[in-house]
Amino acid sequence: MPVLRRMVHEVHSIEIGAATQYEQHQLMVGRDQAEALFADPALASVRVHVAAPGDRARIVAPLDVVEPRTKGSAGGVFPGWMAPVNRPRGGDTHVLRGAAVLAAGYLPRNQEGLIDMSGPAAERSPFGRTNNVVVEFDRADEATWQEAEVALRRGLLRLAVHLADAATSAEPDTIEELAPPHRPGTPTGGLPRVGVITNLQTQGAFKDVFVYGRSMTGSLPTLFDPVEVEDGAVVSGQYGHPALRNPTYVHQNHPVIAELRARDGQDLCFAGMVLCPEPVAQADKELVSTHAAWLCRAASFDAVIVTKEGAGNADNDLMLKVDALEADGLTAVALYAELSGADGTGPPLVAGPRSGAVVSTGNYDQRIKLPAVDRAIGGAQLRIADADATAAVEIPTAAILSALSPLGAGWLTCRAEQELADQKLVGQMLGGTA
Amino acid sequence: MTIAEQVGAPRIVPGRGIPYPSGDPSLPPAGEQQWRRQLVQCALDAVTTAVEHPTIFEAGVVHA
Amino acid sequence: MRVLHYVNQFYAGLGGEDSAGIGPRMLEGTVGPGRLLAQLLGAEHEIVATLVCGDDHAASNATAAQELLEMARDAGAEVLVAGPAFGSGRYGLACARLVAAAQSAGLPALASMHPDNPGISDAGEAPVIASGATAREMRPSVQRLAAAVVKVAAGEELTPADGKVTPAARIGQLVTQRSAARAVELVLRRLGGDREATEVPVGGFGVVEPAAPIDKAASVTVALVTEGAVVPAGNPDRLESARATRWLRYPIDGVDSLASGEWESVAGGFATTAANADPNRLVPLDAARTLEREGTIGRLHEEFLVTVGNGTPVATARRFGVEWAAELRKAGVQAAILTAT
Repeated sequence: MPVLRRMVHEVHSIEIGAATQYEQHQLMVGRDQAEALFADPALASVRVHVAAPGDRARIVAPLDVVEPRTKGSAGGVFPGWMAPVNRPRGGDTHVLRGAAVLAAGYLPRNQEGLIDMSGPAAERSPFGRTNNVVVEFDRADEATWQEAEVALRRGLLRLAVHLADAATSAEPDTIEELAPPHRPGTPTGGLPRVGVITNLQTQGAFKDVFVYGRSMTGSLPTLFDPVEVEDGAVVSGQYGHPALRNPTYVHQNHPVIAELRARDGQDLCFAGMVLCPEPVAQADKELVSTHAAWLCRAASFDAVIVTKEGAGNADNDLMLKVDALEADGLTAVALYAELSGADGTGPPLVAGPRSGAVVSTGNYDQRIKLPAVDRAIGGAQLRIADADATAAVEIPTAAILSALSPLGAGWLTCRAEQELADQKLVGQMLGGTA
Repeated sequence: MTIAEQVGAPRIVPGRGIPYPSGDPSLPPAGEQQWRRQLVQCALDAVTTAVEHPTIFEAGVVHA
Repeated sequence: MRVLHYVNQFYAGLGGEDSAGIGPRMLEGTVGPGRLLAQLLGAEHEIVATLVCGDDHAASNATAAQELLEMARDAGAEVLVAGPAFGSGRYGLACARLVAAAQSAGLPALASMHPDNPGISDAGEAPVIASGATAREMRPSVQRLAAAVVKVAAGEELTPADGKVTPAARIGQLVTQRSAARAVELVLRRLGGDREATEVPVGGFGVVEPAAPIDKAASVTVALVTEGAVVPAGNPDRLESARATRWLRYPIDGVDSLASGEWESVAGGFATTAANADPNRLVPLDAARTLEREGTIGRLHEEFLVTVGNGTPVATARRFGVEWAAELRKAGVQAAILTAT
């Protein structure tokens, strides 16, 4: 089995300049070079900006986000988009860690969200902590929004490769070797075999996630090489709930896979992954869930972490899988955001599993006050708050990009008020005896 | 188990997909009209039937 | 102290569902559960009058609470008590709105209802005392309420020991371990034998008491309602695409079918291509109209009610349900077909 090596180049600062270059952890984005990558009949014009952690800046209506990656002159990243689907697996992929490229601006089917580069929203989004290259755009008059969306995705992926190309001759800060998961029957020394099921949204234009450039609509679940996900085989074209969105960046750095790798050989044996569609018909949801559980058993998983894309009906996909797994004797844990209302007193889940366990990725409805910022990218208005894009606003957590990430990329959770009070009491008692 | 059952909806008529609860774009126009009529007819059958807990009424099936 | 008591039309002895549309009014002295309440309050407090409103009217008229409050003031109320509403949604909502209005206007007020009553979230700053789920628990519920009234009249704070409902809030917070790492921890804890470990309680089902069936659709008015966000093209009333805070109504009298281009769905939670090509896929107006013409449906209600069920908190959705029920009952509708996405 070929091993993938991620040559990690850290990005500590970012600016726009005449030509793209990467030196000493500084990324310079060549404006003309970057904008030329978005040449497409569906786009009238684009404008490239940068926003770094700590900036008093707000990115309004963020669309997809991509981590800059390249395999050098041979090509091979983003198969199905930037490379043939049968490109060789493994090899070396250069990564600009700490950088991200994203599009921002009005797209009719995008649920508007935001990223702040400082303040409380910055702490809640994985993209408040990255050095961001942000592309604003104008659709060509004769183009449809759907055509503009495809053009933006292609442009973002090209830009991601272009930026990472600048680092191919630099010495990497670290090299990550991504081994394949342990096959069934491999001695585990008594450690449990733990895998992941990742559900992808499959509802057509603006509501689809791509695997090797194609939708999983109509597919059955499949055992999938997690290394391929970590090497860019999954690209997002999904614009629902901002806080619940899994942009391409989060798939490239699939948090559950990463955490399973981190514990591999110590507490568990990383057993692999299953990718699933989220069908729109109940019978298909049940078929997909039963089949996914069957695959996990066939692959000798002892336990499974289940992730989703979207809300509402996607909760049903999650619930059905957890229940199917537990009924088959596997231990299952699902990641859900809570919908308990602004004050947190409502029922947390609409459709939760009957068995298994749930990790809370935070409360969708909890409101947060954001301070005013100096500049905004992506739009002059924040429609969800009916305010100027730079104004101090109060918004629900639901609007902060990936803050409630169902792939586990966020740092939010919810605890019962009583539990928090008890913790505080214990803290005081411990403080008193110290 | 469906979300409708889980939230306790007493009378449930299943559609064929989330984006079109009272339609089916895969059918030709006349067939879809017929399907929608069956769904509404089935819903009317459901509201004339006594139930004690979440109960599924399949459209196109005759309910005694 | 001068106490005013609020009850619905049923407990006022003015009739059942047939009288649910009556507007705000005041009766002298006590009626129904007010008699027991007066007895338990003792000599120091007097229920000087009883406020009444029909459940449908109260739940579907935003001004009802304010009108009732003015009546209470005119009667010289020093404390306002509402209920017990038990598990009844419309009655609970009416009690909650009234005590919220009173409390925020500086008149001490409290309501009594079951903790699961959908109206409870509308009580604002006013305390709610837990009652039983049904009128079978009238006596203990009123006993608890009376004790709470005495405390409020004395200017004392109510606590959970008085039966005050304090919904357990779940508070969002930032933690150092991201969710994916906590998921791995949770898997390992469960594999290690702690089968109860979870960050959110699992299980639990909604229970809805089914309405009695209607006799024949051919002899009643049937309404179409949806959470699929179907609105006139261009969304003139700006219905949200997610996290609904309100619902809307659109007339369909004389309309045979929801034409593409004239109606659209603004829901953000699902792909709307199919629905926008034929909005009858979300609200089955064309089929329902045909069945009405053929006599299978007695009459189709003159408007449809709509909101968006996309990231809408359960408490909000339950309140919409109570309001819709009141609205439709008031209009004489006996059955509704809700299309859900």
